[in-house]
Amino acid sequence: MFKRLLEFVGFEPGRLSARWISGSEGAKFAATAQKITDHTRALGPNTKMRDEN
Amino acid sequence: MREIARDLLESGQVNLVIGYGRGTGILRTTPVFIRKPSDAGQLVYNPLCGNNLVKYLLDQRNKEGRAAVCVKGCDSRAVNRLIQDRQIDREKVYIIGLPCGGILDPDRVEGAVDPGEEIKETVISGEGYDLITAAGKYSFTMAGAGSEKCSTCQNHNPVVYDVMAGDPSDTPDIKDDGFDDVRKIEEMTVEQKSAYWDRQFSRCLRCYACRNSCTACSCRECVFDQVNTGWVSRSSNLSENTAFHLIRAFHVAGRCVDCGECERVCPVGIPLRVLNRKILMDLKDLFNTATPGLTPDGERVLGQFSADDPEEFM
Repeated sequence: MFKRLLEFVGFEPGRLSARWISGSEGAKFAATAQKITDHTRALGPNTKMRDEN
Repeated sequence: MREIARDLLESGQVNLVIGYGRGTGILRTTPVFIRKPSDAGQLVYNPLCGNNLVKYLLDQRNKEGRAAVCVKGCDSRAVNRLIQDRQIDREKVYIIGLPCGGILDPDRVEGAVDPGEEIKETVISGEGYDLITAAGKYSFTMAGAGSEKCSTCQNHNPVVYDVMAGDPSDTPDIKDDGFDDVRKIEEMTVEQKSAYWDRQFSRCLRCYACRNSCTACSCRECVFDQVNTGWVSRSSNLSENTAFHLIRAFHVAGRCVDCGECERVCPVGIPLRVLNRKILMDLKDLFNTATPGLTPDGERVLGQFSADDPEEFM
């Protein structure tokens, strides 16, 4: 729901990812982290909701 | 309505009636709190009674006695929601139901009528209203001067009440809301959406009128009242404003009854309701749920677990 809301206000699809991974799923964690990293690199720096203070 | 209020106060069934009274000028009505039977004459009901008065029931939570509240169809869903959240006790509330054929938008009526006038009588006429004042008759159609939220109204009569003031409205309820307002924004590109909402959120004054008027915002202490939590702050800048509006909308997800009060009270006209309606549309889409508050014992769509839940995050 929140992911859909973020995309509704103009965040790129995939800027936020959330996955449930158990402590026993090391390989899945590594693969997911790699996938998210690659995707985020492709998106480039986030420009929305930066620390402006 | 005045007779009902007078009788309720006189017989001691309630010690307070929350209703609408004359505001400053013809375009505004204001909430009034009637405690004496002789004051019941202050109550008014006309197509400019936009406020959702249910929020004021939260002030009565820990007080003795029973309070009566006047509700339109949209507002009545909020009563059900607050009962479901155990914020209010059904026994301590007396609900005066008001039939409604739609509310006029003061901004769209302004200019057409002298603000110094006073409504003597309201006549339902075809697709709108005739407001009769000392200066004559002013005619408005819902299509031309109605509140936008009323065009998708699914409850022209209250879904819960103890007594109805007047005959039920025969304006047909809208059964299948197409969420055209949400879809219009969804059709934009990522950049267009981002620019659109940046333009909206950058105007926010952080006055919190949206929060204060919201029946679903019932936290005794709001995170946005704290000066610096370390992760959200009260600074009024685009980033913090965006965070505020996303958190506000998401915090009422599944509890928002789509009464549109947040958007109505916004002094800078941010289309807040469409944020809540985006969430409502997705809830209906993902969980096949009804608008919150339609029934007294409605399910809490985000407050329960089902093995059939869509699991986009697994």
